[in-house]
Amino acid sequence: MDLVRRTIERYVRLGDDDWSRIAPCWSECAFSKGAFIAKVGQVEDRFYIVDSGVQRMSFPYDGEDICVGFSYDGSWSGAFDSFVNRQPGRFDVRALTDSVLLGITHADLNRLYDEVPAMERFGRLILEELVVGRATREIEQLSLTAEERFDRLVKRSPKLLQLVPQKDIASYLRMTPETLSRLRAKRS
Amino acid sequence: MRTTELIDQLDATLEGQLHRARAVRQLPAEALLYRPVPEKWNALEIFEHMCLSSGIYLRGLERVFNERAESLRINPEFNPGPLGGYFTRSMLPGPDGTISNRMKTLRMFDPPRNSGASQESIDKFIDLCERFRKLLVRARRTDLNRMRVTSSLGPIVRFKAGDAFRFPIAHQQRHFLQLERTLPAAPGPAQRTTTSR
Repeated sequence: MDLVRRTIERYVRLGDDDWSRIAPCWSECAFSKGAFIAKVGQVEDRFYIVDSGVQRMSFPYDGEDICVGFSYDGSWSGAFDSFVNRQPGRFDVRALTDSVLLGITHADLNRLYDEVPAMERFGRLILEELVVGRATREIEQLSLTAEERFDRLVKRSPKLLQLVPQKDIASYLRMTPETLSRLRAKRS
Repeated sequence: MRTTELIDQLDATLEGQLHRARAVRQLPAEALLYRPVPEKWNALEIFEHMCLSSGIYLRGLERVFNERAESLRINPEFNPGPLGGYFTRSMLPGPDGTISNRMKTLRMFDPPRNSGASQESIDKFIDLCERFRKLLVRARRTDLNRMRVTSSLGPIVRFKAGDAFRFPIAHQQRHFLQLERTLPAAPGPAQRTTTSR
């Protein structure tokens, strides 16, 4: 639970009174390697903070899983678009390793937005961060070469290369596993 | 064997399993994910495995009960079929609570190779046991010899309804022993750590 408080307090300051309302809304969720945290077609009811493990977000396309992102240590997880719009999800989120996530339901989070002003501010700030993140990735996808995309990833999240299978990294960077392997060989 | 005695005994076993499952459901996430050895299942995977394999019998029993149970005359005796009897005996732990013959998991029942496992696997297991118990209530008023259910070994092996209860419940007993060997030794009574970690 310290993790939840620390994570929220990266964005806003919480009084003990606020925290006593927030803490009971979060619960631990355990997912074994391979488990679905969110599934295409299901409405996502939880928003998660990652306590441990690595998760992959993807969507099925043309018989393949197109990987759009990863989450680990302290980052967000879950199918956020479905969580927000309450429509059947378009993404799968799966545990790549055994994972512990701290989750809050849609109802609880929205109640906290109403009851605790700091939480509403927190909600706005993470949304802003997510929008900037998506915009950055969109530009990278559309304008950079394969090698540049790889370099950006190495710079931004070097840890990911150790944590995630090569084929998922390749899918995330929109390149073939062979290209990725060539780029890795070139760098080392 | 007497049908009523068999049903009483199966129901008591299920009750014990449900009780334990509900207690394990309250354990902290790390305990549920704990692996004594990297290649062994954790507690969640044991529950998911039981759901995958017992689910075949549960669905088969529900189908055949809905089709026929009410039209059969009550039979106070149940005689295990040769295969159902053999497989159930091979599943049951010995009188000293030990498992003699280790088995290899069929691929389709191996959680890490399928859709993994989560706390939801325990919820599914609890629901499954409750549905078995509902069928056991209806089982007192029918004939467990005359209805048959396709086994998890494929359509060639069909169990009598009585064996379609006995086999999966014995299989679950085996995995509850594994569960106790899998969970980390807990200091004192287990407590959920949702709010105070």
